[in-house]
Amino acid sequence: MLDFQGYGPRLLEGAWLTAELALASLAAALVIGLVVASAKSSRSLVAKSVATFYTTIIRGVPDLVMMMLLFYGGQIGINMATDALNAHLGTDWFINVNAFAAGVVTLGVIYGAYMSETFRGAFLAVDAGQMEAARAYGMSGWLAFRRIRFPLMMRHALPGINNNWLVLLKSTALVSIIGLSDMVYVADQATKATHQPFLFMVPVGLGYLAITAVSELVVLGLKRRFDTGFSQAT
Amino acid sequence: MADSETPLVVRDLHKSFKDVSVLNGVSLEAHEGDVITLIGASGSGKSTFLRCMNLLEVPDAGELIVHGEHVAFKQNKKTREPASWKQVERIRSRLAMVFQGFNLWAHMSLIGNVIEAPVHVLGVPKKQARERGMALLERVGLADRADYFPAQLSGGQQQRGAIARALAVDPEVMLFDEPTSALDPELVGDVLAVMRELADEGRTMVVVTHEMDFARDVSSQVIYLHEGRVEETGAPAEVLSRPDSPRLRQFLAPRF
Ligand SMILES: Nc1ncnc2c1ncn2[C@@H]1O[C@H](COP(=O)(O)OP(=O)(O)OP(=O)(O)O)[C@@H](O)[C@H]1O
Ligand SMILES: [Mg+2]
Repeated sequence: MLDFQGYGPRLLEGAWLTAELALASLAAALVIGLVVASAKSSRSLVAKSVATFYTTIIRGVPDLVMMMLLFYGGQIGINMATDALNAHLGTDWFINVNAFAAGVVTLGVIYGAYMSETFRGAFLAVDAGQMEAARAYGMSGWLAFRRIRFPLMMRHALPGINNNWLVLLKSTALVSIIGLSDMVYVADQATKATHQPFLFMVPVGLGYLAITAVSELVVLGLKRRFDTGFSQAT
Repeated sequence: MADSETPLVVRDLHKSFKDVSVLNGVSLEAHEGDVITLIGASGSGKSTFLRCMNLLEVPDAGELIVHGEHVAFKQNKKTREPASWKQVERIRSRLAMVFQGFNLWAHMSLIGNVIEAPVHVLGVPKKQARERGMALLERVGLADRADYFPAQLSGGQQQRGAIARALAVDPEVMLFDEPTSALDPELVGDVLAVMRELADEGRTMVVVTHEMDFARDVSSQVIYLHEGRVEETGAPAEVLSRPDSPRLRQFLAPRF
């Protein structure tokens, strides 16, 4: 009975795409967030201004608008660039923006801004003496970041990262408007064809819950990892 | 005289923060086995002087020579910075610092703290670093605490652990910034005892301290700083017992 009117396999594919998109976007958002947080705490006025400008814009504009702007605007920008190149070289190139890549970039850019705020707070929460000792023992910037600052900072950042991640995960539903067949897109199509919204939307809701449940387990493990040295009683 | 064997030579150091000048030409020469104590009122520049030695602060002017190697600086418009951070990192790894607040890395066990710089900065194989690290923890009386985290240790234990961390890089010179000031009085003795042992075995040390007994008994030279200048210096017996400077006399007065 539960073959979802033949939509089963496509729904599964959609769920897989949602998970892939969410994870790839999370990775992008974490990297962007770290870089922007570093820029904000750097001494360079230019880096600071650019970073602040970026987070202000992103936080003030709806995700959906941002996504359409980056997707269509990005396509137009690329078209103009290739047109200019073609006119110059007499070639005939055309680059089609890959919807998956566009989704990752958009979600990464949006949630990178939120992550950067999380990271900035977390950096500030680390006792300055810890990095001072790292430098005093001859650690290079990268080594000190990797061995000292990052693990100490993550303890403070983890709750914020988790919140951002849960919102990001749900935002992946927006990518259906740029033509990606994530699980919401498939369910929407199926509902329109069969007029059975519950048959499709309830499993989709459960799908998100399943991803969330798995991620809670991962977060629990990470929390234990980064609490090492702090949770132990004296 | 200083030569290429001298562990640490500092000449005519100047340092200002914004417009406030904190060091106005201070010098120091630490020969093998010297224990130099820096004393002076709060704000006289002792910590700043010490922090300039391993470039946690970059001096505005002056020379820094570690075992014959001159630290190279490049002059920007207003500020000076080290010409090579690689060189700075190398030099820092040879001058181990012990902080007032211990600053053991909170997310690492005690033995993890001790082997961190040897393994990741100096490239010592982990097993070898661990063996040596355990021997050092034994020395400071903490072998049974090797797997504890800093938060699980008393201040005195943390500071002795920090001294083991410093010894682990086999430093040319050990720099101490008021290592006992943050400790409960009953824990000071253990830390000072370890430091006395280090002095006895010929470790070269520069120690900022308010412990006048330690300065008198252990140091080979006392430097009294006042407003970023060396106001008086010499052997502890002279400087601490028969001070020339009225300021130093006043500084020492409550302790007589
Ligand atoms: N990073 C800094 N920025 C601005 N001023 C500073 C900085 N570090 C130190 N100072 C100032 O330099 C002066 C000397 O400070 P320093 O910490 O070297 O004194 P100290 O002799 O170690 O004092 P204490 O015995 O209280 O530790 C003080 O007036 C202090 O306010
Ligand atoms: Mg001080």
